[in-house]
Amino acid sequence: MVARGMKRKLYGSDNGGGSVWESQLQSVLDISLDKFQRDQALVEPSLLRSVLITNTLRQVQSVVKTHLSGVSFHPKLHTQPKKQPELLSTLGSIPAGHSASLCSLGVEDMEDDLMAWPSEEDLSLATAITGILNDLDAALDDDCGLSVPQRLPLASMENLPGDGRSKQNSTISHKTDGCRASILGNSSHMSNYLQEAVIDDLLLDIDTNVFEAEANSVSPCAFSFPADQLVKYLPPFSNSSAVSLTPASPPMVR
Amino acid sequence: FAGGGVGGGNDFQWCFSQVKGAIDEDVAEADIISTVEFNYSGELLATGDKGGRVVIFQREQESKNRPLSRGEYNVYSTFQSHEPEFDYLKSLEIEEKINKIRWLPQQNAAHFLLSTNDKTIKLWKISERDKRAEGYNLKDEDGRLRDPFRITTLRVPVLMPMDLMVEASPRRIFANAHTYHINSISVNSDHETYLSADDLRINLWHLEITDRSFNIVDIKPANMEELTEVITAAECHPHQCNVFVYSSSKGTIRLCDMRAAALCDRHSKFFEEPEDPSSRSFFSEIISSISDVKFSHSGRYMMTRDYLSVKVWDLNMENRPVETYQVHEYLRSKLCSLYENDCIFDKFECCWNGSDSAIMTGSYNNFFRMFDRNTRRDITLEASRENSKPRAMLKPRKVCTGGKRKKDEISVDSLDFNKKILHTAWHPKENVIAVAATNNLYIFQDKIN
Repeated sequence: MVARGMKRKLYGSDNGGGSVWESQLQSVLDISLDKFQRDQALVEPSLLRSVLITNTLRQVQSVVKTHLSGVSFHPKLHTQPKKQPELLSTLGSIPAGHSASLCSLGVEDMEDDLMAWPSEEDLSLATAITGILNDLDAALDDDCGLSVPQRLPLASMENLPGDGRSKQNSTISHKTDGCRASILGNSSHMSNYLQEAVIDDLLLDIDTNVFEAEANSVSPCAFSFPADQLVKYLPPFSNSSAVSLTPASPPMVR
Repeated sequence: FAGGGVGGGNDFQWCFSQVKGAIDEDVAEADIISTVEFNYSGELLATGDKGGRVVIFQREQESKNRPLSRGEYNVYSTFQSHEPEFDYLKSLEIEEKINKIRWLPQQNAAHFLLSTNDKTIKLWKISERDKRAEGYNLKDEDGRLRDPFRITTLRVPVLMPMDLMVEASPRRIFANAHTYHINSISVNSDHETYLSADDLRINLWHLEITDRSFNIVDIKPANMEELTEVITAAECHPHQCNVFVYSSSKGTIRLCDMRAAALCDRHSKFFEEPEDPSSRSFFSEIISSISDVKFSHSGRYMMTRDYLSVKVWDLNMENRPVETYQVHEYLRSKLCSLYENDCIFDKFECCWNGSDSAIMTGSYNNFFRMFDRNTRRDITLEASRENSKPRAMLKPRKVCTGGKRKKDEISVDSLDFNKKILHTAWHPKENVIAVAATNNLYIFQDKIN
């Protein structure tokens, strides 16, 4: 699995050069999102892995937010504010599942393209970026890989929107315990597992469409904002799907 | 230093002893070894694999004819411990891979072990049968029932010797107590109870009781979206039956006392090393995640393994480890690539030697590392078929981290990250080690005596 379109670089552990740090940030973001999406498609992703990837994404998110708010801990980046939109439009391209095409350009290439942008675009971009960040926030909070409804059985039994569900379940647990026992032919179990896993599943209105979905398609319910909704936030560029670009062509933001 | 020097204070030299498993380049997924464990005496060595099988090796008695050759381990028993299951309610397949094996202390002629996959723990009894009863009254020698009305005399069945047969039978099945994936089991020093841990909960079982367990730790948040930390390993204290520890994905260890409360969500001790701000990166949290925790035999220390290092903690000091050993620090500059290819999520185990003077853990390229706690010397060895002549001494290996590569050194970029040594075990009393390299089990011994 490769960070699509990403030119490989030797990543040093130092945070000295702003561009090195930025490309690592970009890379970590791309890789994390790719893993995040792939895990979403699995029936039962590893909880440890999900938590670590989600925490990494949150880390990247907070770093980018800090950047936006103007608090810069990288002097070089601070002097090149125009570089920020590329990173953030990468964030914006997340749900489409396409590669963040901008990262296919070298940092030097990006700089040239930036110069080609008219300055009045920057304002609208800033607004778009804020919107994208909010959406990413929502995506991470609602679907941090752990509470995707239906696809993730571990989470589907708890925390479904609908309050009071757990209370409701515990009162009828005794009845369904017996039901469960007869199904399995085991003696009655008193562990938490049954009360949570079985009862909730029995009560869920299972959406069978989920089980018919292809494993490798990104379920629309996995993200809180569909790709086409996102497009309206982005500046009007041509929608070519080329991944590898020459420096002369207009930058891609999808 | 050449040859050895690690493993107990004297100058030991590690030599190849045996290798078990197929030589084929094509490794079947089911044959990949997923756990290795010596029993309390070291006489038996158990392995579990991804196919749900358990293979137990027994050490041959040293023969008087060849006093210099150490006892070899030969297959004693093989059985299918777990089968793949399908959870119809959640539409999930439950893997049969054996995550952990733990032996029970031996109390009679039979041997008992616990084996677990992601969801179910089983207690297995391994017993020998070398006699057979002959001369039954009610059935013939071939087992057919005799017509009771035609029996005119009674006789006492006689025990006759037969070829040794080793039988494994499941005596207890502890199921349906874990919603999440079981990562650890640990037998308590009271020899009556044991604990099992999954990502969010730890349960305490009685070995005789299968239909219920006590939940003693639960870190599941009310809102799963708030989950940022999971349990990665747990172990009972070797002497104090009320004490256990569990490690987390954030690099912390909590020690709990079961006398304090029924639910041990509040820890008694909290072990965490403050982060070094100069080495902070996006991967700091992932590499701090603890993959294994093991008490020393003495019970005074515990050891934790995270992605790049092994740390020894004094149970009396919570704010930092007393010793830190770098396993493969040269990987620190490669963390982004290792994150990309998922290697950063590999869970390495670690182990103590019998006297707690040395520790061992695995790495990549089929390398494994040993650290002598007294002399502070360390050694890197390789488990490979090339060094597999009987009693051949193992040559120390070295990874070249930069600059000119010396002869016999291997550069970081040439390391094979598919050859990982995740599981190792050290004989409880002697300098004999078992190293699992994918589908092969290597056994090494020290040369002297």
